[in-house]
Amino acid sequence: MTSVVSPEWVLKVNQLGKIFGGLSENGLALTGPETGSSKDPVTGAIVAAWNVSFEVAAGEALGVVGESGSGKSTVMRCIAGDQSSSAGSVQIRTSPNEQIDVLSLTPSERRQLRIDKIAVVYQDPAEGLDLNVTAGGNIASPLTAAGWRNFSSIRSRASELLLRTEVPLNRMDDVVKSFSGGMKQRVQLAKALANRPPIVLLDEPTTGLDASVAAGVLDLIRGLLEEFGLAAVVVSHDFSVIEMLTNRCIVMNHGRVVETALTDQLLEDPHHPYSQKLVSAARA
Amino acid sequence: MSHSINNAEHVVLDVRNLRKHFVLHTIDSRIVEALNGVSLKVSAGEHVALAGTSGAGKSSLLKSIYRTYKPSSGEVFLKLDDDSFVDLISLTDSELATLRGTQIGYVSQFLRAQPRRSTFEIVTKAGIQRGMDSDTAKQAAAYSLQRLNLDEALWDVSASMLSGGEKQRVNLAAGTISPPRLLLLDEPVSALDPVNRESALELIGTLTDQGVAVLAVFHDIDAMERLASRVIVLRNGVVDYEGSPQETLARLEGVAR
Ligand SMILES: Nc1ncnc2c1ncn2[C@@H]1O[C@H](COP(=O)(O)OP(=O)(O)OP(=O)(O)O)[C@@H](O)[C@H]1O
Ligand SMILES: [Mg+2]
Repeated sequence: MTSVVSPEWVLKVNQLGKIFGGLSENGLALTGPETGSSKDPVTGAIVAAWNVSFEVAAGEALGVVGESGSGKSTVMRCIAGDQSSSAGSVQIRTSPNEQIDVLSLTPSERRQLRIDKIAVVYQDPAEGLDLNVTAGGNIASPLTAAGWRNFSSIRSRASELLLRTEVPLNRMDDVVKSFSGGMKQRVQLAKALANRPPIVLLDEPTTGLDASVAAGVLDLIRGLLEEFGLAAVVVSHDFSVIEMLTNRCIVMNHGRVVETALTDQLLEDPHHPYSQKLVSAARA
Repeated sequence: MSHSINNAEHVVLDVRNLRKHFVLHTIDSRIVEALNGVSLKVSAGEHVALAGTSGAGKSSLLKSIYRTYKPSSGEVFLKLDDDSFVDLISLTDSELATLRGTQIGYVSQFLRAQPRRSTFEIVTKAGIQRGMDSDTAKQAAAYSLQRLNLDEALWDVSASMLSGGEKQRVNLAAGTISPPRLLLLDEPVSALDPVNRESALELIGTLTDQGVAVLAVFHDIDAMERLASRVIVLRNGVVDYEGSPQETLARLEGVAR
């Protein structure tokens, strides 16, 4: 009956799971929000994420909310291939005839994926950047990995990106270590966008920055998501970040998704006890 | 689907037996009942005013239609471009997000979080989202901001810096630009002085001529008298009575004259 069509997914995560260690026979039932722990009491295995599913379309940002340890970053790392997963699938579809099953790729194919399909921006700039290398050098690395060879075109692409992320061009040849926190995040964003990936994963991109600096970086991120029509996943424990960047969310607690909602609905009418606790803590 | 009441042809919103209760897990799982089975219809070009005392469920009804509140049960049918009806409650979150941008407008008393974006940009973007091209949207944004007397010096200022009444006008301009099929208004002029209120009410009045179905809450009788073609009075989360403004407004309690 419905003639409403939602946009087609670019990233599809299906029943993704990650377990550290060997699970006991009833390990899944013994972990999760109901038991209040992600640790299997029998074997000590950790169910970091289990049965996580969502889809994201181009131009859309999905939020992943939860306290630290709830499994948010694990999901991110499994999608990005920083970490292997124990169950489920991750698919990306960047054109009607190109669909990639991320978890079945070889390590070298995964590295390739990270060059031009999935970019990640980490909370800790040291994870996304080589701090001992210049801003220009950091941006050059995904470009050369993608086959760029001409020095001056690499330079000009790097300056274009730095300009867009509002990093003063006269800092291009300074090592990133000497940059302020906000500026490092801007360089991470420039590097992430170097090869125009369709998907970007943002893991606490403004956590730890001063409020006014964070606000500027958030503005930039929002502008970039819109301008490039990116499919984005935003992990944050900060509802103001989620509210500003996303229109849908999942809430994670002890490795499980406890609620899926439109962002405004999550903030005004959270259903799960854990979501209600999070939202009221954020409102207080 | 049957639509039996008046203007059956033109019904845009058809709410049936809508219920909403909240389970407050942080307070001993207390249950708050906001809507206890509301049914109503709004047709194209009709302005229906929702009235009732504080706590009667007016805001809850608008939010449950827009799905900022997730309804507990019932149906909310919206007519689409191809004249078919869709139950908003049954849509996925991403389907609903798509529909909101193009077909349903919601203007609340408070400016929703859109900080650090310029006034003009907020209004223009709303127009583009509803299918205007960028130039048309800019013209339309300028026109409605002018109509609402928003000082041009504020157009390129981040909306988070504006006063309450200024924010409210930005909100209203964004909600009414290239008007959606269904517009939900929750006390949209509450922060305005008499002069600005007047222009805002005038703007809202033009929507019905453009075929928009409007469901609105105003806390004063004067606004309802001027704008509404029908008034629905809620009490304790159900429809208490409804009728023409002449029939209903005289009976109203707890509303400013
Ligand atoms: N998010 C919420 N969580 C819990 N209870 C709620 C929530 N929103 C509304 N309610 C309750 O639902 C009932 C109806 O409230 P609602 O805001 O819809 O009334 P209203 O008619 O808009 O009142 P007013 O004229 O004061 O704005 C009230 O008892 C209110 O406390
Ligand atoms: Mg209200």
